[in-house]
Amino acid sequence: MVFALLRLLGGDVAYILLGKEATQDQVIALRIELGLDRIWFVQYFDWIGGFFSANLGTSFSGSYEIFDQIGQRLVPTLLLAFGSLFVSMVLALFLGTYAALNADNTKGIATDIVSQIGTAIPAFWAGLILVVVFSVSLGWFPAGGYVPIQENFLGSLRSIFLPIVALSLGITSVTTRFVRSAMLDVLNEDYIRTAMARGQTRNRAVFVHGLRNAAIPVVTVGALQLGNLLAGTIVIESVFVIPGLGQLLLSAVNGREVIVVQSVVLVILLIILVMNFLLDIAYGLLDPRILDKRNGA
Amino acid sequence: MVTRLKKSWSKPTRARLSNLPASLLIGGGLVGFLVCVALLSFVWTPYDPITIDVRNRYLPIWSDGHILGTDKFGRDVLTQLIMGARNSLFVSVVSTLVSLVIGTLLGLYVAAAGARLQNIISRGVDVGVAIPGILVAMVLATAIGPGNAAAITAIIIWFIPVSARVVIGPTMQVLSQDYIEAAFGYGRTKWFVLFNHVLPNISSIIIVQASVMFAAAILIEASLSFLGVGAQPPTASWGRTLKEAQPLMEIAPSLMVVPGLAIVIAVLGFNLLGDGLRTYYDPQQARKR
Repeated sequence: MVFALLRLLGGDVAYILLGKEATQDQVIALRIELGLDRIWFVQYFDWIGGFFSANLGTSFSGSYEIFDQIGQRLVPTLLLAFGSLFVSMVLALFLGTYAALNADNTKGIATDIVSQIGTAIPAFWAGLILVVVFSVSLGWFPAGGYVPIQENFLGSLRSIFLPIVALSLGITSVTTRFVRSAMLDVLNEDYIRTAMARGQTRNRAVFVHGLRNAAIPVVTVGALQLGNLLAGTIVIESVFVIPGLGQLLLSAVNGREVIVVQSVVLVILLIILVMNFLLDIAYGLLDPRILDKRNGA
Repeated sequence: MVTRLKKSWSKPTRARLSNLPASLLIGGGLVGFLVCVALLSFVWTPYDPITIDVRNRYLPIWSDGHILGTDKFGRDVLTQLIMGARNSLFVSVVSTLVSLVIGTLLGLYVAAAGARLQNIISRGVDVGVAIPGILVAMVLATAIGPGNAAAITAIIIWFIPVSARVVIGPTMQVLSQDYIEAAFGYGRTKWFVLFNHVLPNISSIIIVQASVMFAAAILIEASLSFLGVGAQPPTASWGRTLKEAQPLMEIAPSLMVVPGLAIVIAVLGFNLLGDGLRTYYDPQQARKR
């Protein structure tokens, strides 16, 4: 689909690369050199084939090997995406439970208000503010850049800490609200009452029996948030100048590097697919009944 | 003998302002304010939005004549903010309305169609929902060049499956009612039933969805213009103002705070409005949330 969209609307890449003053002959020559004169489906299979056999050729401007670039930039993006997903899911589970347990008093309402505002804060603005406070004023964290894990583990953590915080903020807020309503339902369930009748405290009953049940809708919402998460990653990389897929995509968009754009977009979609799959597994772990139902038992 | 129904039964009392949910009032107020500001920009702005005034660069907040200060070109920040509100609302109104209309029609059609088509389209909708709007915008920007057009088209492409998905479920629910069967028995056509009997019954859901989509559209527009894929200079936009402020965060941090706050207020307003409308239309369900 990505391929079709780009080709349909694409304009003439060779023309754009050479600029307005190019002669017709130059354009045709470059088109042949880049393989753009072939029929579209030959180009398509060439690209998909190249994608899965790790050979996408060099970028149009000829400055880098596309596949190697994607490989290098995959790690920071994955760290950011998975880190934020994990942090926000866990945080939301506890914040939402807290809000549900205190639904009738000021503590709960305060949590509600904070999460409502949190949903409205764009990740990139949160990132900018964090940089001003923690990097420029306090100097605790680097303002940007990325230290590869294999070079310096602590430095690497320091370099992705602020981006993950900025990225988690919105997703945590959205998910917290869902956990809260799920938890309110769970609190009315018979098994919580039974557990309390057996002499457990309310908090213990909720944490032992309720949390796991309330986590199921969290996984659902989490899956719906994946797109936002990856979109946020792209923007956050731009804020913190992290050399990830988002930065590659952005520079490719500005340079009209069609093949790079479609490859990176495909990789990002694959990441979303994989995360979806992982959350699917989490479903089964949280509620074995779902697996039974699927297997037709 | 027929007893007359009490007046309060036959005629529901009109909702008084104090009975409305607080989120509806606050959200409505914020949104109303935003719309007024954006409309105001057509007739009046404190300064000219594009005139460069080099002598008055980087004025701080509360300066004489420039309440919110000036940016690196000496342009009035308040003016930029007001023009940004216009752009932000323009992009979100156009994209939300277009995608709501298409998405609703698609949703109605799919819900009334056979199970097989439903399966196919629902799968497509699921895939569509999973693709982030920013990615679509990036692809479009590569193809047709960055700008508002790319942003709006991308948001529309992203929102159509989202709104279709919201419509399908409730439509199917309404279609299973007896009065729908009666209408068909009366000889009404499919589209007549959909528009005259189904649409009024799901309109509250669509209105709530519109509000939520406005909020999301404002966020995406800001992100896109921050990345440089959205509105191009000299069109003022909150996201781009932030981008321009990023390298200046040590000299003029206020340049960065103000547009961000504007985005937060706008998004918060539409989110609260959506929440409030939901409570207003369905107080029973909303109490649980």
